Amino acid sequence: MPAGPPKAVQAFAALLIPCACREEVLGDLQERCTSTDGSAMQYCRDVFGTLPFVILSRIRRTADPKLLLMHAFVLYLSFYGAAWFKAYALLYEPWGPARLAIPRAIALLALVLEDAYAKSGRRSPLRLIRGPLVGLAWTLLFEAALRTTHSNLALPFWIVLYGGALGLLLTSALRMLFSPPSTSPQGPI
Amino acid sequence: MTLLIRERGLTPATHLSYAVGEIKRTDSLGQFEQLVLTAILARRDDAYGVSIHSKVEELAHPKAVSLGAVYVTLDRLEDKRLIRSWLSDPTPERGGRAKRCYRLEALGERALEESAVTAKRIWDGIVEVWGKEWVRAQSKEWGKRLGKEAG
Repeated sequence: MPAGPPKAVQAFAALLIPCACREEVLGDLQERCTSTDGSAMQYCRDVFGTLPFVILSRIRRTADPKLLLMHAFVLYLSFYGAAWFKAYALLYEPWGPARLAIPRAIALLALVLEDAYAKSGRRSPLRLIRGPLVGLAWTLLFEAALRTTHSNLALPFWIVLYGGALGLLLTSALRMLFSPPSTSPQGPI
Repeated sequence: MTLLIRERGLTPATHLSYAVGEIKRTDSLGQFEQLVLTAILARRDDAYGVSIHSKVEELAHPKAVSLGAVYVTLDRLEDKRLIRSWLSDPTPERGGRAKRCYRLEALGERALEESAVTAKRIWDGIVEVWGKEWVRAQSKEWGKRLGKEAG
């Protein structure tokens, strides 16, 4: 009798495969492992060979480039506006604009991943706000980590907070107006 | 075309512009997409991730094909509305997990047909230039290769 896939690797794969395709991908990987009498090594190779493709494909399906561009613009505007009011001098520092771009990039990455890992189907307003909230949390955590490791790149706390709050408001409004694409599975024929 | 209009519930006022868009969409089939569509066609009612992958590997031989690449292409073909998918019932050999089954849509069948016709034209064009000797030599080589695999 075939040994079956290693539980730890299976749990790791289940954690990283987006919800919308988790069921079938895990099933396919298990079937390949058991039907070919595959070893644990074969299963690991299959998992690590398939994961990047599945995640990138999901991101491609759920991310709308135009909407992402709008998000990038409002996020940059939020942090730029906060810096304008709270630390005007930062805008004229040599690396000032680049420092303002770091939280925007983190928030955008969080938004993209939140959409990719969201369950497919109808999206309620609460679920649309979850992405910007996750983005804000990631930004705060990343800025805190940056403060301890590369304090010269970190933004002042108030700019992160005000910029993040404004960004949360604006990105939530954008997501309400232009809902991200949802790829719900089609029904049986 | 009538099938398309009926399937998608298009009004006479919109079907013309829609059809132009659809034709444009089916034009851009890559070689790997053709392989995946052929695999779905060949597997009929049993077309799902693993079975499609094994058929694609068979068709693309001797090139190795990763399962991930098949998933990406299936997603892209579904977005192009060339195929349709649904989840089947869970099975014990898959750890109680369901399969995502696929089948060709009318647009997919048409796209595959167009690809096959183009491939036939390419073949005829080559034969016209390189002659029947070349065809015989190719057939011999394929026969040998198939014999080796079977043996």
